[in-house]
This record gives sequence, C-alpha cells and structure tokens, in this order.
Amino acid sequence: MIADEDAFAGRDKCAVAGVGATAFSRDSERSVLTLATEASLAAIADAGLAVGDIDGIVRCEQDAVASYTLAAALGARDLAYWGETGPGGVAPCMMMGLAMGAVLSGQAKAVLAYRSLNGRSEARLGGSGAQLQPRVGGQGSYDEFYLPYGLLSAGQTFAMMTRRYMLEYGATAEQLGAVALACRSHANKTPHAQMHEKELTLDDYLAARMISEPLRLFDFCLESDGACAVVVTSAERARDLPKHPVLIRAVAGGAPPDLRGGMMFPVVTREDMTDLGGRKAGETLWKRAGVGPRDIDCAQIYDCFTISIILQLEAYGFCARGEGGPYAESGAIRFGGETPINTAGGHLSEGYVHGMNHIVEAVRQLRGEAAMQIPGAELSLCTGGPLPIGSSVVFRRA
Amino acid sequence: MEPPLPVLDDRETKPFFDAAAEGRLVYRACDDCGRGIHPPTAHCPWCGSWNTAWRDAKGTGTIHTWTVVAHPIHPAFETPYTLIAVQLDDARDVRMMGRLDGAVDLTVGTPVEVWFEPLAGGGALPQWRLTGDSAKG
Repeated sequence: MIADEDAFAGRDKCAVAGVGATAFSRDSERSVLTLATEASLAAIADAGLAVGDIDGIVRCEQDAVASYTLAAALGARDLAYWGETGPGGVAPCMMMGLAMGAVLSGQAKAVLAYRSLNGRSEARLGGSGAQLQPRVGGQGSYDEFYLPYGLLSAGQTFAMMTRRYMLEYGATAEQLGAVALACRSHANKTPHAQMHEKELTLDDYLAARMISEPLRLFDFCLESDGACAVVVTSAERARDLPKHPVLIRAVAGGAPPDLRGGMMFPVVTREDMTDLGGRKAGETLWKRAGVGPRDIDCAQIYDCFTISIILQLEAYGFCARGEGGPYAESGAIRFGGETPINTAGGHLSEGYVHGMNHIVEAVRQLRGEAAMQIPGAELSLCTGGPLPIGSSVVFRRA
Repeated sequence: MEPPLPVLDDRETKPFFDAAAEGRLVYRACDDCGRGIHPPTAHCPWCGSWNTAWRDAKGTGTIHTWTVVAHPIHPAFETPYTLIAVQLDDARDVRMMGRLDGAVDLTVGTPVEVWFEPLAGGGALPQWRLTGDSAKG
C-alpha cells in the first residue's frame, strides 16, 4: 500500500521556468503561427533559456499550429520529444502532465507548451454553424444525434446544463451574474485584460440580451485572438534560472461517473449532467498535492461560461454541491475573498486562450508579478475542462 | 441554406437512422443487464457485455431540460427555437434531442411523443411534440 504522500512521484519535481503571452485582441492581424512563435519566444526568454535549449514541445490537439511547424518557425533544431492532449480547454493542465512526464522520464530537458488561436478574427469556436459540412457526425463523434437538431454550440449545451442546475438547486440569474462581475472586477484592474477599465454592473448583466436561455451575453467567455506559452523544466534546473521557480505540485485529470462518448453534446444524456469530471480530478489532485481547497491562495478556474465556475467550485470542494451560486454571491471568489478566482479576469474578461492564460496567471501570481496580486500567494489551483472530462494542476511557489 | 444533415451510414449509428426512415424509434440496449446505451456502443459500458442490440422504443418520453435559443448561429435555424432533452420512458439511461419551433414554456416532466421529420436527400430525424394538457396551450 502506497501512502498518499508518496503516491505522486512527480510532486514538486518539475517547475514552470518561463511564461509568455501575446496581446489579447479581437483581431491580431497575424497568423496563429506568428502568435505562437511570439508567445513561445517570450516564454523562452522569460525562462532565461535560448531556443536551442527547447527539446520538447506539447500542444493542444485543437491547435491549428503543429508542434513541428512551431519548432521550424522558432528554429528549435534539437526537438526530441513532442506530444499532444485535449480536448480543447482540458488540454493546458494535461500539457503540464505531459511535460512533467517527458522531463522526469528523461525524454526532454525543457518542454515548451503553447496554445494559439485567432478565436475572434478567424476560427470562432461558438460558431457560425454555416461552417459545418453538409453531412455531420459519424466515427464516434455522435454529432449526428445533435447538430441536425440545431444544437450547434457549447453555449447551447451549457444553457441546458444551467437550466437543469437552476431547477435542481434553485440557483438564480443574480448568482450567475456574481461570477461574471467578480471576473470583470479583476480584469478592470489588469492592464492586459480585454475588459480592462470596462466596468460591468449587475443591472448591465441582467439587461444584456439572452443568447441561449438562461444564459445571457455576459455568461459567455470572450472570443479572442492571442497565444500563451510556458516552459517546463526540472525543479533542480529551474533553481539556476533567473525567475523564481513555480513548482508543479500535482496534476490530475478525472472523468465523470456517467461518461458518455462524444465531445460535449452527449452530456445531456448523463444521469446527472452537472456532476463534472472535475470532481474526480479534484479528489485525486488534493491527495497528490497533499493540500486541500482551503489551502489555495487563488484559483484559476476554466470559465467558458459562468456556470462552469459555479459547478467547478463545487467539484473541487470549495463549497458543497448546490452551494456554488450562494458561494459566488457571497463575494468569496473576489479579490480579498476566501478563494479569489481568475485574478486577471479569466476567459470571461481577460481573454480566451482556451485555458492557457489561466496557467500563465497562476504562475504570475506565485511569482508576485500579477496585476491583482494576492499578497503572499504560495499555492494556486488551475483547472481545465469542464466537458467532457476535467483536468487540474496545483502550482506552488518554490 | 440547408440544416446540417446526419451521416446516415456510420457503422455505429446507421441502424438508428434506418429505423427512423421507416418511422420507428430505436435505441441501443444491453441484452444481459437490460440498460440503455446512448450514444450507442457495441460494448455495454455498464456490465461489460458484448451482447447488445437495437430495441424498439415506445416513442414517448418527458422533458429533462431545455434551452430557448435566442441568438442565431446557423441560417437554417430560425430563432427563437427550443432545444429539448427527452428522457425516454423505456430506459432511464437514454435521452435524445429534439427541437420545438418558437420559445416554448416547459417544465421538467412535460410529456412528449415522437414524430419523424423527413430529411432532404432521404431518411428521417426523430422529433418530438408535446402531448396531453401541455399540448393545448
């Protein structure tokens, strides 16, 4: 029997040595390859390394930029390891796991992880469904059971989850609004955030148009052009590099008890559609990290929608099932509260880089470099997902 | 612009659409443990059996959740429309999608029955309509 404290061989053995990001905008006027290159070079420089030191690259399977194409653009000629994970917003936390695996198994010494998208000017994830092929589905996607009905987007799927959640637990529009306002208030004081200085009131939130009832405009994340990158290396090596190392304390993924095939639409078939894979990920994560939700100084919670935050606050144990709405409304998730979340504004208000800007913000917080700096922050949670499966990382200031 | 059409010849889901073309609603189920499997797989995830098959459904169910879509995404789907997740009366493990025209006032448990919408180019898509008192409003 392995004791819990020994169960995660990777605890604190690897570190994020560098982070980089482009500006976040509605139109970058540049290719996703150029954005990825810029963010990667910034991360490599931040780590105090040279391009030639990068011998591993990991990516999100949905990224339009292939790892070998990025290596070519960077001039990373010693590439010896590459890997990819996903889907979508689940990827960044799992990329930390891939990078760790490569470093600890000796397959690479410095691994670059990146995500790049022109999510507003070129490939809008929420769609225009007009991009669809005339025939949809097949090959285990199961899209043939959903898209032909006009269920076309993540927003519509999360709207059905939100409806069910409101009916089961009595959650209110004001509670969803509290999540949007908390993230916005953090972005308002973060200069690089797309919603910097653009205030949002509860009246604004409630008066905004419905997109897919009960979700309104500000329940949705931004659509952004931008890229983020981080460099992972061994903790030992990171100690010799210029920036204060941020250790990868633990990584964990998790599936819901009633997982169904397909990407996100089949969540409507799960017996309990608001019980996320994040719950299982959290149970594993806290054991591996040897800490719990009360120890976390700030949390970067994947926020494709406001409801995503409420459900993950529950899944990761910050509050009980059904209490996510009141917990958000209490102010606990704001700067100065018990669990400040998405301290740069998150996907709702900072920018949407598919989970990767959450990793960057978690690292900045633990270095003391954030705009909305949590005083003395030592532990940060970062999550990915939340559909169809969940992913998570605990970072620790060395 | 036409709505997206389902692939009708996928090796996993073809029998569902073949049946719909004949005006029958079917779902995959395990002949050993009896539970429904949706989206369908040849292997039963509940008990591990390969002894699964398509079964005829009664064609009735209830509303489990829904959303009224206000923001148009695809030109073929005029807003508002109401997306519904229908819990089949036959099997607690099976919920299917449906679309109702307009913004429909619903509650959990509202009864519905299946009908078959002909598809351009052949085949049909199972759709649902309200039954009982809820259909009169």
